[in-house]
Amino acid sequence: MTQATTAIPHAEALARLASGATPTLRKSGLSRELLLERYHPDHAPAAAATLQIGANAGERCHPTLAELLQANALIDGFDLAGAEQLSTDVLVIGGGGAGAAAALTAASHGADVIMACKLRLGDSNTVMAEGGIQAALGRDDSPQRHFEDTLRGGHYRADPLLVAQLASDAPDAIRWLIELGMHFDVTDAATDGGTLRYKQAGGCTQPRILSYRDYTGLEMMRVLRETVELDPAIRLLNRCPAVELLSHDDGSCAGAVLFDLEYQRFVVVSARSVILATGGCGRLHLQGFPTSNHYGATADGLVLAYRLGAKLRDLDSFQYHPTGIAFPSRLAGGLISEAARSCGAWLINGLGERFIDELAPRDVVTAAILRECADGRGIERDGRIGVFLDTPRLARQWPEGIEHHLPALAHLAAKCGIDPATEPMLVYPTLHYQNGGVVIDGEGRSTVPGLLCAGEVSGGIHGRNRLMGNALLDIIAFGRRAGQRAAEDIGKRPLRRGDIEHVYSWQRTLVQSGLPRQARAPRLYPGPGHYPLHRNERSLA
Amino acid sequence: MDKLNQVLLKPAIQVGADLFAWMQQGGTQGLATALDAPQTLIQRIADADLRGMGGAGFPTARKWEAAAQAAGSEKYVVCNGNEDEPGTFKDRTLLSRTPHQVIEGALIAALAIRACHVIFYLNPHQQGSLREMRRAVAQWQDSPWLEKVAKAVGQPVDLQVVPSSGRYIGGEETAVVASLEGGFPFPRKKPPFPAESGVRGCPTLINNTETLAKVSHIIRHGADWYRALGVGAASGTKLYSLSGDVMAPGLYELPMGTSLHDLIYRYGGGMLEGKAFKAVFTGGPSNTLLTRKDLDVALDFDSVRERQSRLGTGAMIVISEGSSIIRKVAEYIGFFAKGSCGQCPSCKCGTFQLARLLERVDSGRHSPADLAALRHLCQILPGSGRCGLIDGAVTVVQSSLHTFPQEYGIAATAD
Repeated sequence: MTQATTAIPHAEALARLASGATPTLRKSGLSRELLLERYHPDHAPAAAATLQIGANAGERCHPTLAELLQANALIDGFDLAGAEQLSTDVLVIGGGGAGAAAALTAASHGADVIMACKLRLGDSNTVMAEGGIQAALGRDDSPQRHFEDTLRGGHYRADPLLVAQLASDAPDAIRWLIELGMHFDVTDAATDGGTLRYKQAGGCTQPRILSYRDYTGLEMMRVLRETVELDPAIRLLNRCPAVELLSHDDGSCAGAVLFDLEYQRFVVVSARSVILATGGCGRLHLQGFPTSNHYGATADGLVLAYRLGAKLRDLDSFQYHPTGIAFPSRLAGGLISEAARSCGAWLINGLGERFIDELAPRDVVTAAILRECADGRGIERDGRIGVFLDTPRLARQWPEGIEHHLPALAHLAAKCGIDPATEPMLVYPTLHYQNGGVVIDGEGRSTVPGLLCAGEVSGGIHGRNRLMGNALLDIIAFGRRAGQRAAEDIGKRPLRRGDIEHVYSWQRTLVQSGLPRQARAPRLYPGPGHYPLHRNERSLA
Repeated sequence: MDKLNQVLLKPAIQVGADLFAWMQQGGTQGLATALDAPQTLIQRIADADLRGMGGAGFPTARKWEAAAQAAGSEKYVVCNGNEDEPGTFKDRTLLSRTPHQVIEGALIAALAIRACHVIFYLNPHQQGSLREMRRAVAQWQDSPWLEKVAKAVGQPVDLQVVPSSGRYIGGEETAVVASLEGGFPFPRKKPPFPAESGVRGCPTLINNTETLAKVSHIIRHGADWYRALGVGAASGTKLYSLSGDVMAPGLYELPMGTSLHDLIYRYGGGMLEGKAFKAVFTGGPSNTLLTRKDLDVALDFDSVRERQSRLGTGAMIVISEGSSIIRKVAEYIGFFAKGSCGQCPSCKCGTFQLARLLERVDSGRHSPADLAALRHLCQILPGSGRCGLIDGAVTVVQSSLHTFPQEYGIAATAD
């Protein structure tokens, strides 16, 4: 993370804010495009590399991700010899919301499902989604407006077909979630009839966010988890990361190789269709940024799909959430929901000024914060730089207390040792979301037959910037679509044992293009988690 | 590398279905030479020591001789392009890239045995071969060459492209006959051999695509030229379909008798990821495995036979140390079980049982009784079918049991 050498000391900035003067909104002086180009991390020189091999050869990609995409496989043919064999109609890889939605839908359409989770079911970014889920249900709202907002928010770089499906699937997705037992915030029954309550999201023309307090994703995962656990057609494999996909002779997907952490052995799962729902790559800490993502977000799905020949897109586009915690450093990257800004919390720089419309699209707000910090108007506290999120302003408008409306924020502030009602929080952008991913069609199918994708691992839905609330919607809408497609394909796809012939061709390509063969991917467990897959490595560890 | 691709795969003659381009590259010269003295053709093929490239390595001239001697005014020449076994991909390359050298060879064969029907029997799963051959044959039908051949044979000659059933078993000689007669490709009992009594009882010469492709070159350049191409006593060149754990899998035309070591390490770029060499499945893959001690073997029919294996179609599926032999054997036996035509009960049930047992051994769910059953089947099955399918399947299982007993978890048997 590049931090400016100069910044305004925390005490000085605090005193300026506490003086009570209403902050003025400073004119930006830069167009949105210029702001993004100069200050957004995606446009930094360190963020550009070109892929040399694979379906996207010659295209731009973030160098850290490119390293993984062009790496060698973790396993070889001998790992499959004598491995436990399982077979199923549909294999879902990933234990988040998208995987659960896909598994449930496939099972309800008559498929036998195996769901493999790298950690445990529900250990995912879904539970960390705080803000809410978008759905055009309001009286003055329409899927058309939702469509237009999403397309504009993504700088018109999204696939319009996918966006149209996202917007039109939304009402039914909410109905499905409510039927499963999910709670949403409602208006006061006595005065407003107790209907769904809508919140405003950045970049939207209409309040369209449905939420449950500020832990909507956790509530969603609660019902999804319970339903998956109780579904007899779904066999759940926890702590079984996918280390490689399997292929047929014709290059189509034939299942996956898992590694069972408990028994320390490989499991070969043959499947008619595989649904990748492995999420994003925040844990790669691109350009040294902190991340709001959970431990498992290591781009595993992208790596596996790319090696099998799937086309990816927008690999140089990531979302940096504007309001990650900057202080204290042990919590750096932790997320403060956009709900705080949507409820009226301002962003204030060291000079006591507002410098951006807080509800502009996330990439714009992020670029604006980075600009303040780069230009010396950031606030420094114990070596950490950021800007203020003016939470006391929220406290002033809610006499009943912040914790009543935003309990997760209050909880986080308590962990930081800060009283949000009296003291503003120091925030700095945090790596939040992978905008690109595997190219899919309207039913979640990748360019490799038999391989479907849902959720953050897929690309094209959000263009180059995602709006608040569209991620939770995306996982449900496309999770269900992929699940249904996979179930309907049961009769059309063979259930034969696959092989890892594609790995061998990949290794030949690596040698021919002079790339190193020592680098291995997927990364599976970053940092402290060292789970050697092979016995000889185990004895060394 | 100078020995690579000298004849059939010579880059200059990869002209596709364009007859004119083929003639510019010296095409039809072989046929012209043949038309001058059709009665000497069989002797010239015999002098060149051309062998059947479909796997058997049977001297081609003897087959031609038998068909030529057989009584009957209506005779057939069939180019067998049914190629379907795992690891073999030579015929499809010839048929789709240089169809004219195959057609010319077939016409010379027709001249030699005085056949009036020439049939190209092709695997319909290889759409490229079928398309190019149809285009190429159409050009011959409009050319004066067919007329000249007909005059020499003494009756009109027709060229036909016939899609096979696309089944593996359809490549067996007698199954080809059954298929061309319009039935299911059930292999038949031999004798009578097709050369005596084939399609509708007529003498039928059935040659592999690669064999016929070589004929025009032999007639054009002479038997001595052809013999000199080979290494040592072996004659000519051979198409090797190299696949498996090597750096550069692909089709290589090399002098007959090139060593296995040269094929893998000199032409095939060495082993993938620098792994150690373990074994090679040759041919079908229905032959005895070649192992590390066989790396020096010259890849010609006779030298490979001396190692108790067979060259087969020239397919070399290379397995590296670390890859499971059982896995591969299970895969191939599964293929044979699917490919069995089912008319001989021992083959139908035998291949199925072998496949089932191997699948269990591979996934580690077998009992000692399964291994005993596997060995027992290997003893009782050979020779029990009309064609060689069951024998080939048993050979590869037996060979893996004998060579890699430790993978099955059994004690080694004495040599």
